[in-house]
Amino acid sequence: MNPVSLLRRHWMWLAVLVLMFAIPFAFYDWSRGRHSGFALTLMSEMALMAVFALSYNMLMGQAGLLSFGHAILFGIGAYFTAHSLNFIKANDILWIPAELIPLAGGVGGLLCGILAGYVATKQRATAFALITLGLGELFAASALMFMTFFGGEGGITTNRVIDSSLFGIAYTSAWQVYCLLVVWAMIAAMLMHLQTQTPLGRMANATRDNFERTQFVGYDPRMVRYWQFILAGFFAGIAGGLYTLVYEIVTFDTLAAVKSANALLAAYIGGASGFFGPVLGAAVVVGLQSGISLYTSAWLLYLGVLFIVMVMYVPGGLIGLITMHRPIAQMGRLRELFLPYLRILLPGAVTMLGFVTFVELATHRTIGAAQGKTLAVFGMPVDSESLLPWVIGVAMVVGGGLWLRIEGRGFLLRWNGLIEDAKARGIVA
Amino acid sequence: MTDAAIQLTDVRKSFGRTEIIRGVNLTIPRGQRHAIIGPNGAGKTTLFNLISGRFPITSGKITLNGRDTAGLAPQQINHLGLSRSFQITSIFPRMTVFENIRCGLLWSRGYKYSFWHLLGSQRKLNEASDQLLERLNLHTRRDLPAGLLSYAEQRALEVGITIAGGADLILLDEPTAGMSHSETEYAQALIRSVSEGKTLVMVEHDMGVVFGLADIITVLVYGEVIASDTPANIRSNRAVQAAYLGEEAA
Repeated sequence: MNPVSLLRRHWMWLAVLVLMFAIPFAFYDWSRGRHSGFALTLMSEMALMAVFALSYNMLMGQAGLLSFGHAILFGIGAYFTAHSLNFIKANDILWIPAELIPLAGGVGGLLCGILAGYVATKQRATAFALITLGLGELFAASALMFMTFFGGEGGITTNRVIDSSLFGIAYTSAWQVYCLLVVWAMIAAMLMHLQTQTPLGRMANATRDNFERTQFVGYDPRMVRYWQFILAGFFAGIAGGLYTLVYEIVTFDTLAAVKSANALLAAYIGGASGFFGPVLGAAVVVGLQSGISLYTSAWLLYLGVLFIVMVMYVPGGLIGLITMHRPIAQMGRLRELFLPYLRILLPGAVTMLGFVTFVELATHRTIGAAQGKTLAVFGMPVDSESLLPWVIGVAMVVGGGLWLRIEGRGFLLRWNGLIEDAKARGIVA
Repeated sequence: MTDAAIQLTDVRKSFGRTEIIRGVNLTIPRGQRHAIIGPNGAGKTTLFNLISGRFPITSGKITLNGRDTAGLAPQQINHLGLSRSFQITSIFPRMTVFENIRCGLLWSRGYKYSFWHLLGSQRKLNEASDQLLERLNLHTRRDLPAGLLSYAEQRALEVGITIAGGADLILLDEPTAGMSHSETEYAQALIRSVSEGKTLVMVEHDMGVVFGLADIITVLVYGEVIASDTPANIRSNRAVQAAYLGEEAA
């Protein structure tokens, strides 16, 4: 294949890679010649969550299996990595390069997948979801009971600097670790992408679509689920291994329900149907968690509202939203949507701002004020005791909402017109 | 005896207290094209479900190429060389038409649960899938999600998935149901050519297809075989005329 067509087909990968290395430099402190620690941690978290969410989607998107306990695979991978590092350190093993350490997480996740998957994949659909829920609780409870492996509440601490490297890198600085992380995340994502094109990957789709029929073409749907679960475990474990490298401490949070929920949120918000969906979703979820949480204690509420809105109105997720535009782009008429978009984004923004005002006022009254915080909008202090800001907030929600309804109709009309044109020209079926 | 591809010995099936299949004895020799006809509710589809392992039998014995199928899962029966289609279309709706066909081919080509073969570079497999698509007249729909096909096209795909693996024993459950006259004719020719040298059993309501294809016709009424004979003899069989062809023969 020639390089041009190769680039055309895989530009997404290149774009992600370039972005991953470029964004930290946007936060680079040139006067002191140092990377921003916050930006690197945020980006690291996004990268490892992207791997985790992609591995989650191997079950949800590919095989139609809704798991509520995916974090056990991640957590066990993280613990495995921490113990491996400590073991290498304690026994002065020098022949294992630091670059291969995340594989220990992969092995941990794989073993956990063999064990947990054996139980969970006996069933599908609701029963599968409930078994994974139970397994998640079981592992989280075990983490607090078996001190030697899980380290109880305090967790297991480790040190990623093991003085052996393929490239002579010590991994003492956050930037070095970040580079290793990006490379591993890219490799894991590519392998997962390739897996979708294998017989197992396709039969996972088939069991999702119609599990009974797969039996009559020779496949045991249970074995398809089991293999898929084990492989998802491997990649979730690698994500866990990357987590250990970044934070150098592993606690039972890594395998608890909240972590599982994060994978589900990322995969759903990003979109389970497109391969890159969970990557987008992971960026959004981590962004809200680590970025927005600096400004407001109500970030979890925003995440919840976003999730509900996505489930209700955009079941295809962000990636679905993007791919919906493909036929219009193929006709070369994307430009015609610019103005209609502007006209719904404006009332949309007003509604959202009103909602944020309302939520922030409420949280300030209930939590913020007690903590002695002051509420400020664009640097101007706002008094949550007075009536005016409340009235403004509610008025923006109601007024913006009504305005959005009116503009929304116009937008829909325009959109449907374009899709009809695309249909007439045979671009969409 | 050893020449029998499918042999049913006093096969019975009850759902709760109702006995749907009431002691069926049937021997289908290798290479035969066999049609099962009968009024609605006679148990034709249930019989297929028993042979293909979808439901376990209540009593009796089913052997495929001499092997007892008791306790085998559908996929294990499939590995014995039997493939079936469904009366209610059963395809993979979110996958493309091409991928549907390829799913039907994978096991027989020995891929099993492989996650180390990239399907894109399996030339022989993909060529075989494309060739079958062409024979099914579905090649123009190749990259469409199967769920978007018209009803008749989905029926053709249903048959395609069934025959893709090259099974020796083919069970088709109303393959031409809902097809137009010309589509039925095309399907009939297709079924004839793909079942060449193989054992074919089909449930069919279109008498044109039945009498055009079958070597032997079995008539099933209320879970019992009332006749099993050549088309000519079935046509003149009094009991069959009374029970089934009644209105048409009169």
